[in-house]
Amino acid sequence: MRDATLKYLLVLPAVLVVLATAIWPLIESLRLSFTVGRLNRPGSLDQYLGFENFAWAFLYEPAFWNSVTVTAIYTVLTVALTTILALGLALLLAPGGRFRSGVQALLILPFAMSPALIGVSFRFMFNPEFGLFDAFFGVMIPPLADVSWLADPVLAFAVCVMADVWGWIPFLTLVLIGGLASIPQDTIEAAQVDGASGWRVFRDVTLPQLAPVLGVVVILKSIFSLKTFDQIFMLTNGGPGTATQTLSHYIYFNGMKYGQIGYAASVAWLMVIPMIFLTYAYARFVFRRP
Amino acid sequence: MTGRRKRQLANGVQVLLILIAIFVMLVPIIWIFMAAFKNHIDVFQLKLFFKPTLKNFPAVFESPYSLGHKLMNSTLVALVTVLLAIPIATMAAYSFSRFRLTGETTMLVTILATQFVPAVVIILPFFVMFRDLGLLDTRVGLILVNLSIVMPFAIWMIKGFIDGIPLDTEEAAMVDGSSRLQVIRNIVLPMAAPGLLTAGIFCFIIAWNEFLFALILTNKNAVTLPIGLALFKAEEGDLWNLLSAAGIIIMVPMFVLALIIRRYFVQGMTMGAVR
Repeated sequence: MRDATLKYLLVLPAVLVVLATAIWPLIESLRLSFTVGRLNRPGSLDQYLGFENFAWAFLYEPAFWNSVTVTAIYTVLTVALTTILALGLALLLAPGGRFRSGVQALLILPFAMSPALIGVSFRFMFNPEFGLFDAFFGVMIPPLADVSWLADPVLAFAVCVMADVWGWIPFLTLVLIGGLASIPQDTIEAAQVDGASGWRVFRDVTLPQLAPVLGVVVILKSIFSLKTFDQIFMLTNGGPGTATQTLSHYIYFNGMKYGQIGYAASVAWLMVIPMIFLTYAYARFVFRRP
Repeated sequence: MTGRRKRQLANGVQVLLILIAIFVMLVPIIWIFMAAFKNHIDVFQLKLFFKPTLKNFPAVFESPYSLGHKLMNSTLVALVTVLLAIPIATMAAYSFSRFRLTGETTMLVTILATQFVPAVVIILPFFVMFRDLGLLDTRVGLILVNLSIVMPFAIWMIKGFIDGIPLDTEEAAMVDGSSRLQVIRNIVLPMAAPGLLTAGIFCFIIAWNEFLFALILTNKNAVTLPIGLALFKAEEGDLWNLLSAAGIIIMVPMFVLALIIRRYFVQGMTMGAVR
């Protein structure tokens, strides 16, 4: 067979799978978002009502805006905290050696953990009666000694952020160690010979050269923070009240628990929009290299 | 202070900070390991020393939890997903790596982008379709939707591996009269085998840990391990000792797999944006 035909035949199955399992549901969700779309009402999945679902979300649903706010704050906090802490840890571990390499190997563990399990384990750690972190914070910060973390809106949110940061730091650290390793060592040595302090070397030499990798880290983490569902579901299930209800959780509840699949699809599509921008930015990093 | 003393001190501080970080990282995992060997009563006390028991592990396999069934589901779903995804992804990856295709960049970006689509968006239409087709709560349905998350990783990861295989042996074989398909079978596949295995393990971990699809699509017959975690609730609250035993069964196999392929983990997750 000629290569000219073969090359398209080889990609065909993969393209079909991606079309069927990712592109079709994306388009079908968009269609559903314009319908009445009640799971328990046959025919309502083909009953169109224009932009009413979107209008409903924007105008009459405080719970929608609540989940937007929760997701936004959650994303900003988790992205900032994981990136900064991972950068710190990466700088500590980058020099290598047996001890540091051993630690690097351990970093893979939290990332191999199911996010659902991370949620469960943090609920365990913050149990008011016998949670280890609960006891730790109680001793370190006395005003927090008698609080029930997951029953308080602000603290429950804080626990969700902590669980997320805990789960993501190891992976982002590994990415950043890779980034640090690719910086030519002589640029750093030259600055040191010139007598620059450690901080100046980091700020003026290391950081600018690390910028592309940091960009990848921030975008990737933003995407995963925006999508957050598993951990929240197992940790607080959106509560207390709706204090930790992210957008994914809100969509899940409306679509699956209340059966309003048309409305859920419209909110889901509102979530796709920021993803498009982030994906575009990410693709630029991927294709920047030959 | 001399320069040498100063460096020693700085290194000491660094080691201390690393140890603190490792401690924070490992404590929740160790805590689960300990709880899995505790009696129900010991869980309710912050005890470091306790009389260990093994009875939590058989308990989670008994009714009403019957974790064995979920373990079977998780294994089958993840395994079949991988066995379907890897050959299809390998074919595509070879083509993307070796040829110029019309619309190549568009295809690659689209494949990359599907990875970033929120799972809730994907699952709503599938739920409706599976309800009509009677595929709800089946392993077949779960495998189909799992392909949507696994395929992009597989294609990008394997493409990376094939990009790294030098062209000359392939070209030499072609000059000697081998057809393209013979070259793929006799030269590329053996050389790419470790990469395919790595990608397979990576995708297996992702499919194994998948939560939202299984939560929405299954309720009894096809329930997987992560969903099974929600079972360990009783009237008196969560049964932490059993929950932890189940947690170990979920995470330890993934720890082993992740350690095997750890050098490629970053590359896989970032789809080649970081090498």
